[in-house]
Amino acid sequence: MAWINLYGVLGLLEELCRIDGEAQKLTADAYVSIGFAVKNGPEGTLSFSGGTCTLLKDVSSCMIKLPFSSSEKFNGMIDGTVTPFPSKGFFKLGFLLHTFTKLTDILSSYLKPAEEQLKNRQFFETSTTFMLYLVAVAVAECGNHDSIGKFSAGYIPDGTICLAVKDGPAAAIVCRDHTLTAVKSRPAEWTALMEFDSMETARGLFDGSANAMDCIGSGSIRCAGLMSMIDNMNRILTRVGLYLG
Amino acid sequence: MMELNTYTKSREAFERAVKVIPSGVYGHQGPGEGCFIPVEAYPFFSSKAQGTYFWDLDGNRFIDYMCAYGPNVLGYNDPDVDDAAKEQLAVENCVTAPSTVMIDFAELLVDTVASADWAFFAKNGNDVTTCAVLTARAYTQKKKIVFFNGYYHGISPWTQKVDYSGITEEDVCNNLYVDWNDYDALEEVFHQHKDEIAALIAQPYMHGNFRDNELPAEGYWQKVRKLCTDNGVILIIDDVRAGFRLDTAGSDHYFGFEADLICFCKALANGYNVSALCGKNFLKNAVSGLAYTGSYWMSAVPFAAGIACISKMKKLNLPHLLIEKGKKLEDGLIAKAQKYGFDLHVSGIPSLFYLRIADDPSFVWHQEWVAECVKRGVYFTNHHNHFMNASLSDSDIAYTLDVADEAFKVLRDKHPA
Repeated sequence: MAWINLYGVLGLLEELCRIDGEAQKLTADAYVSIGFAVKNGPEGTLSFSGGTCTLLKDVSSCMIKLPFSSSEKFNGMIDGTVTPFPSKGFFKLGFLLHTFTKLTDILSSYLKPAEEQLKNRQFFETSTTFMLYLVAVAVAECGNHDSIGKFSAGYIPDGTICLAVKDGPAAAIVCRDHTLTAVKSRPAEWTALMEFDSMETARGLFDGSANAMDCIGSGSIRCAGLMSMIDNMNRILTRVGLYLG
Repeated sequence: MMELNTYTKSREAFERAVKVIPSGVYGHQGPGEGCFIPVEAYPFFSSKAQGTYFWDLDGNRFIDYMCAYGPNVLGYNDPDVDDAAKEQLAVENCVTAPSTVMIDFAELLVDTVASADWAFFAKNGNDVTTCAVLTARAYTQKKKIVFFNGYYHGISPWTQKVDYSGITEEDVCNNLYVDWNDYDALEEVFHQHKDEIAALIAQPYMHGNFRDNELPAEGYWQKVRKLCTDNGVILIIDDVRAGFRLDTAGSDHYFGFEADLICFCKALANGYNVSALCGKNFLKNAVSGLAYTGSYWMSAVPFAAGIACISKMKKLNLPHLLIEKGKKLEDGLIAKAQKYGFDLHVSGIPSLFYLRIADDPSFVWHQEWVAECVKRGVYFTNHHNHFMNASLSDSDIAYTLDVADEAFKVLRDKHPA
């Protein structure tokens, strides 16, 4: 799903540049923006500016523009099976070919880590935080664009779901008129809460090694508030599994 | 302050359970279903039950307002029902040829239920709602089924939604959804799908979870009945949840109309496993033609229990009794809520009351209050209608109100006005 890959996966470059030292070094002197325009799909621009990265949901002001004739082609770029060709910004290709590739490699290591890497606590926490953000964005995009996801979103009332690790990172999924928006921070108020008691519980849920029902029963996942929001979010989450594997 | 329950043994049992049983406790009685919030307030396993009480593994006693989600209608271990079951068990139960006690039970149902000309038996509510839909399709030779949003008719694929785990689009492609009490919308669906609709299936009123229960608008059922008749659509009443707690003659009778097919389970035999589909004569041949049966569907013990249960419910005028008890509880709970400045909404028929503290739209206050009640031995759940049973006494109601009072006080201390 192109929306998840662009807004979820590539969107994590915002956090990567903020948290990861190597990514910060790589982008410290970068002032460049890359636009991704997917036919019948999402559009977005990653804007790098002196060590920060921001994702905008249009391509009107990008320096490098990468057009994709289909979602499949864009997803292929994410998988590494398709090499994109820019329609604009040939003089900035060095950033695309070198710095951007290195950034996505670092991001991949957090999203698909080797077991050894997870023994490093800081890496483990960053990786798990990225997965939490990715899940939140993926739920929102799947609820807005996938036919079954939209059906579930149709049953979610207006309000905010807080998806959080206790004393740790949090994300929000805001629902207005059955359209979902992910926010990668803790909301000031929520209507429904799904809280993991630890990073380990969250990780277990995300990588499929833990069972959500067991965790709810044992109290390691705490749910509260408007349960119909949580129920339907979980149905979308099941669909997200199809796209994120 | 009352002493608060602890659940050490329940949690130990749950740890054992999750190793060998999916979810530990799956389905509607499990902690993952969203009715036990926070889970820390609830026991997960029982050790014994009697009358209106059950005890958990840690020895905590609960006044049980869930009644096993409905089956406990007379009281756990009712002596009349249990004696009838034991007597039958001593003679025969699951045998190659069924006992004539099945005929006795069918005759009793036909005599009791206003819209029943015959009875067909199975085990669970889902068995008979599915049987009803198959019957309607067999009779009409049409495919589509109309549901009211917020419905629950069991767990077969046709009863679920397209986004539920394991369900395909093909499983639910003949389902049509309409809002409850919106007659114009229903009429429009009938118009749009003229000659395609086999049945409309509905509970007698909207007692969906996570929402206030909603009774039918004045004259609603009568108009729906006529609409179905005029369009050759079979009207199925799913009385699995409400059956015998509104009217021993059926909840359609309570609301002044006649279903073509009516489904019973929960209160039918006070905990013995039997369900029944009852219906009109014109559908009897259609049921006969179904390939539909089960290994234990003709076991005699639940039939004997059902006969004893229905006979006792009629003798006690049970619906009246339960509605009276429910009203007493409802009035008391509302008064306790008002004492602390809370707006407690009680909806549905009092024998199946639904609770919601309306001051907080996120339901968190409601969940906190229910948890305080459970920790003090009054078993409510967060977002499901409750059930009354005949053995609930005035002193049980008084104790419940004491617990509710203290729970409201805790809630008010936590959330000052």
